[in-house]
Amino acid sequence: MKRIECFKVMADLAGDALVVTGAGGNTVEWYACRPGDGNFRVRTMGLVSSIALGIALGLPHRQVVAIDGDGSLLMNLCSLPTIARKNPPNLTHVVLDNEVYEASGEIDTATGGGTDLVGMARAAGIRRASWAGSPDELRTVFSQALEGGDAAFIGLKVETSRSEVPPYPMDEVENKYRFIRHVEKTESMNILSMPMPVSFLKD
Amino acid sequence: MADHPGPAMIVEGLKEAGVDLVATLPDINLHALLERVAADPDIIHVPLCREEEGIGICTGGYLVGKTCALIMQNGGLFNSVNGIVSTLLQYNLPLLLLVYFAGDVGDRSFSTNGAMTQPVLNALGIRHFVLRDPDEARTLIKRTQVLTQDYKRPVAVLLTKDVLGRRRPGE
Repeated sequence: MKRIECFKVMADLAGDALVVTGAGGNTVEWYACRPGDGNFRVRTMGLVSSIALGIALGLPHRQVVAIDGDGSLLMNLCSLPTIARKNPPNLTHVVLDNEVYEASGEIDTATGGGTDLVGMARAAGIRRASWAGSPDELRTVFSQALEGGDAAFIGLKVETSRSEVPPYPMDEVENKYRFIRHVEKTESMNILSMPMPVSFLKD
Repeated sequence: MADHPGPAMIVEGLKEAGVDLVATLPDINLHALLERVAADPDIIHVPLCREEEGIGICTGGYLVGKTCALIMQNGGLFNSVNGIVSTLLQYNLPLLLLVYFAGDVGDRSFSTNGAMTQPVLNALGIRHFVLRDPDEARTLIKRTQVLTQDYKRPVAVLLTKDVLGRRRPGE
């Protein structure tokens, strides 16, 4: 499968889910398919699923999707047992497995040598873990995952081709503020208020 | 040492500071503190397998309005450095780090960890405060939480055996 075909299916179903993406092609191709401030790009390799887990635990009624890569997940495999332990029903962890460190010169990852990430997720205790082998299968498992119940893990074998998409339109700090303001607005909550100046305070 | 006042004072300080999500990884000297964190119904407790994932989990919590803390040994601080640099520092994110100061003076283990803890924090620009007296725990934790929110950078409290409770009297 092409990565962007998968993203088109997911964007169609994701609604207002908060989406966390990693470095490399995933972020820009996802953003092209579903632009907006409900997207957070991660810069630390491996931390996509951990940041998504924190969001899912903090907002248990909101769907959260982690869009991960094989190299990234392999760097933070301990995220799988931690997700399994908390089992947030609103978290869907999608891994696009192209079997290479694509953003680092297409050197093979361990998945090309037979490491099965869905098998690892299941063995870690994530009960709802499966491969989707086609866009139609992805449509089925992703929509089931968004219905909740248990944390879900979806593996997708994808090609290493990149699509023609625009660059990511903001830096890390702007992404942080836009994401937080989006959460404030869509959840009617206040996250970033500053204290009143002391001269306004009454004893 | 269940009766040592430090762990209860630390948890009180966390709650008074508004902390409601705490990620942890055990050390024997953190045992009493982590039991209290895990048992507290007002705190979402996330037990970790490796400390750096806690940087990510606390980042996610912060983005949706949680007030987070990460409790770990100083070895875990060293495990977390990439996450601290390329997430917390890169995005200007606050986070209260409660770090067991293994290898501190009067602590007969991990003396190399003890020697490197403050130099590493200094290199990262992370302000840090050593907590020895249980009576200072509540105030220091509240103040460091305000500081990290204001500074938009992580701030560390170094937890010594004196505040966590010594397992052997006179050690």
